[in-house]
Amino acid sequence: MANRFKTLTDYEAPLGLGYQLLPFNFTRLDGSDYILTNQAGEYAVVSRTILEDFVKHRLQPDSEAYRTFKSKHFLIDRDSDVAIDLLTLKVRTKQARFANFTGLHIFVATLRCEHSCPYCQVSRQSDDRVAFDMSVETAEKALDLTFRSPNPAIKIEFQGGEPFLNFDLIKYVVERAKQINAKQNRSLEFVIATNLAVATDEMLMYCKAHDILISTSLDGPRDLHNANRPRPGRDSYEKAIDGISRARAILGRDRVSALMTTTQASLSRVTDIVDEYVRQGFSGIFLRPLQPYGFAIKTKSYRSYSADEWLKFYFDGLDYILQLNRDGVFFAEHYAAIILSKMLTPFETGYVDLRSPAGLGIGAIVYNYNGDVYASDESRMLAEMGDTTFRLGNVHRNTWKEIFTSDALLDALEDSYTGSVPMCSECAFEPFCGADPVFHHATQGDIVGHKPTSVFCQRNMAIFRHLIKLLRRDVETRRTLMSWVRE
Amino acid sequence: MLTLGGESLRFCNIGNRPRFIVKLSDNPELPKPLRDSRGYLSKAPHGVLPSGFSLYVLVGDPQAAEGLVEGRPAIILPDAYRYLGSGDILRVAPHRSGVRVLYRSGSAYNSILLTERCNNYCLMCSQPPKVVDDSWIVDDVLTAIPLIDPATRELGFTGGEPTLLGEDLIKILSACKSWLPQTAVHVLSNGRRFSDTAFTKAYASVAHPDLMVGIPLYSDLSTIHDYVVQADGAFDETVRGILNLKRLGQRVEIRVVVHKQTFERLPQLAEFIARNLCFVDHVALMGLEMTGFTRPNIDALWIDPFDYQPQLYDAVSYLASRRINVSIYNHQLCVLDLRLWRYARKSISDWKNEYMPECDGCLKRQECGGFFSSAKVRYSSHIKAFS
Amino acid sequence: MPERSTAAELRFSSKVYRLETIKKAAYRLSGRCSFDFAVEDDEIICRLIFREAAAVELVNEIEYALRNEVLDQDLRATIAEETAAVRNAVLAYAFSRTGLQNGEPL
Repeated sequence: MANRFKTLTDYEAPLGLGYQLLPFNFTRLDGSDYILTNQAGEYAVVSRTILEDFVKHRLQPDSEAYRTFKSKHFLIDRDSDVAIDLLTLKVRTKQARFANFTGLHIFVATLRCEHSCPYCQVSRQSDDRVAFDMSVETAEKALDLTFRSPNPAIKIEFQGGEPFLNFDLIKYVVERAKQINAKQNRSLEFVIATNLAVATDEMLMYCKAHDILISTSLDGPRDLHNANRPRPGRDSYEKAIDGISRARAILGRDRVSALMTTTQASLSRVTDIVDEYVRQGFSGIFLRPLQPYGFAIKTKSYRSYSADEWLKFYFDGLDYILQLNRDGVFFAEHYAAIILSKMLTPFETGYVDLRSPAGLGIGAIVYNYNGDVYASDESRMLAEMGDTTFRLGNVHRNTWKEIFTSDALLDALEDSYTGSVPMCSECAFEPFCGADPVFHHATQGDIVGHKPTSVFCQRNMAIFRHLIKLLRRDVETRRTLMSWVRE
Repeated sequence: MLTLGGESLRFCNIGNRPRFIVKLSDNPELPKPLRDSRGYLSKAPHGVLPSGFSLYVLVGDPQAAEGLVEGRPAIILPDAYRYLGSGDILRVAPHRSGVRVLYRSGSAYNSILLTERCNNYCLMCSQPPKVVDDSWIVDDVLTAIPLIDPATRELGFTGGEPTLLGEDLIKILSACKSWLPQTAVHVLSNGRRFSDTAFTKAYASVAHPDLMVGIPLYSDLSTIHDYVVQADGAFDETVRGILNLKRLGQRVEIRVVVHKQTFERLPQLAEFIARNLCFVDHVALMGLEMTGFTRPNIDALWIDPFDYQPQLYDAVSYLASRRINVSIYNHQLCVLDLRLWRYARKSISDWKNEYMPECDGCLKRQECGGFFSSAKVRYSSHIKAFS
Repeated sequence: MPERSTAAELRFSSKVYRLETIKKAAYRLSGRCSFDFAVEDDEIICRLIFREAAAVELVNEIEYALRNEVLDQDLRATIAEETAAVRNAVLAYAFSRTGLQNGEPL
């Protein structure tokens, strides 16, 4: 009876006929370890010796590396060919979001603001509404462009200055958008990025009634926050905390989120900042790698910091957050979560600032208070410096087609696409990374970017290496990191 | 373990009738028009037999039963069949004096065998395949479906390999949709036939309101899967089958029997599923059944479940963290990692569900799924009652 | 031997490596110094050029990194050649309206 059953060796016979490589990139991780990634963003870490054996077709079928490569679709052999079907499906899945086109529509309600944060490039301390508020006419045109996007999910985000200073405009846009959407039935979401200092309960109730999310600024504990964000009365922190509390009470806890901006002063205070977020009842923090450009900022005096300084800040922050998780407190770091999602799932995230092709226009678009249309928020900042390279047009003068097929946009998207530029196209981290033509244009004068000297590249590679290292460090760390992934 | 059928039973006044299906009723007041399509069920102590039924099934006290038959077509069954109830459906095979219980109205675990043919030959197959023309089963099933209580929650179809029925499987599923629209249907299949797009389309076009197919996948590596199911190319066909089914919006469950050949790469399989097949509706990780081919292959298959808990925990927690529905079947709570208890289900069909001597007095007996009856042959040496 | 130099030279056999490979490797290190290339008989000559005189240790470090990078680039060239067809096929299918199986619309 035993003869009726074949052995495993019988089924492994075709493996003796050799294997074919499937497409992949590799990059040195650290020491003699290399990381390999395929088009679906799956990765494997092996020594250089194994990598070389693999490429030279010397890898033995009974080795663990062979099995890993076969399972993760880095090689294909005579025994099975469904790998191509699966690889195709995964690549398609990763790209699926892009097909939806612009999902994030930023409306700059006003440039006016009562804060005077040194790192802000746009706001004006002024009462001149005519000069600095978005008008209803402009909003109407912007809404028209918004709903031309084919995306079944539209997110309208109000920014400024301080948007609540032009609350009437917000109300107009929200109600008008809902009216337009009544026939289209898309998923419609609203967010207001606000310092909450001028938000009355009445305004918050309006937000509640219309399901508007609040995104506010909390840079850390009181001394740090107030130093970073001056306002008359020097009470930005108190206002923020009070605002968060009222907003939560009225809108609901999960409708209020907070963002921080890292300044020179923040660099040594990451545990204090995280503690502040924990104290305020947030279940995560977004340690944004948003660093003001290294070049001089026209209107404000400002001390920037180096990539290395920020990386230390970030890694210390991650360490501390992982410790919190070990101590039983669920707390996530959202930037890591975005990258981990790219590393560990077949899906692409909605985060527009780390994707290729870049999120310019096709992911997010900005309608400035005066109707000028920008490919991204950074593009708007750049224009404040006098560089309007990424201004795509104006809602009053240009059609949707003119804006979205403008050379400024298409060149930026095409030329910076990481799948075809030097170094990026061969980089193992490419599936996790993104294109940032605005940053490279601003810092290097080149939308393609010279990656060997690019701070963007240096910073991102350091983060990828660090996260891979953490994922391999121990099972518990891996589980914690995975628990942050939302998809 | 329940006796669900047998041959050479006590048949009276039935003669050489061809095989037939009959639904049982224990209601002596059943309206006359219904009686000629029903079998009257009586369990000892027997009372007066009502007239007009097409068949009489008497369980227990054979002497008294014989006395009551009086020329009627009757089957006298031993006490082992006392579990029978009104609404149950039998297949009666007069030429072998045989009876097979197809459906039990009082059970939550009704599973109907569609064929013993199969195109795999799994090392641990609990229903070893036969090369035989058993297409007659299809007729019986199509006859039985309209008799099944429409309030039945769930109905299973197994084999062998049900998709080998081809168009007949589609007919059966359509019949279920028509006659049993409220009943969830669960088909067990190796999935290979679904790599044929035309067949999958036919399957999907049934548009059944609550249909799921359970498909085993034993490894992330084609060689190991093909080895476990003893069929070259099975992995590729099965995966393609799953993809086709999901493309057409059909519900798919992936089943993994955990044993010596599959436990080591369980974490890698979990990752493979999460990366490539994350859209499946459910993943079930199952304990080994000590029956059928498992016995002759026991050396290649047996591992104490206690010993593979690390791999099981890794796999389950990975799938759960990726938001994939996952359950553990056929594992006893005392051998399961505590953190996995929330995934454990009481899954063993009632008719083959038992407990071992070590389970006496166990406080968790109610929540625990217990064992397969066949487990008596061999089971974990870590079974211990909770006190 | 000078302690600091503004240039150094590395030679690679053109029978073993393609010029493209050497250039790609050099590109990765172009943040640390500049490069110049020439081909002489069977050799590819790669010159490292520093704006300010560089210490010997630094020059050695970059040379070492360059040699390693050339090896890696060589591997990449092999992989690219062997996988180009599949790479393009996967992209083509991923972006098409039909699937691999029977050309059926997905």
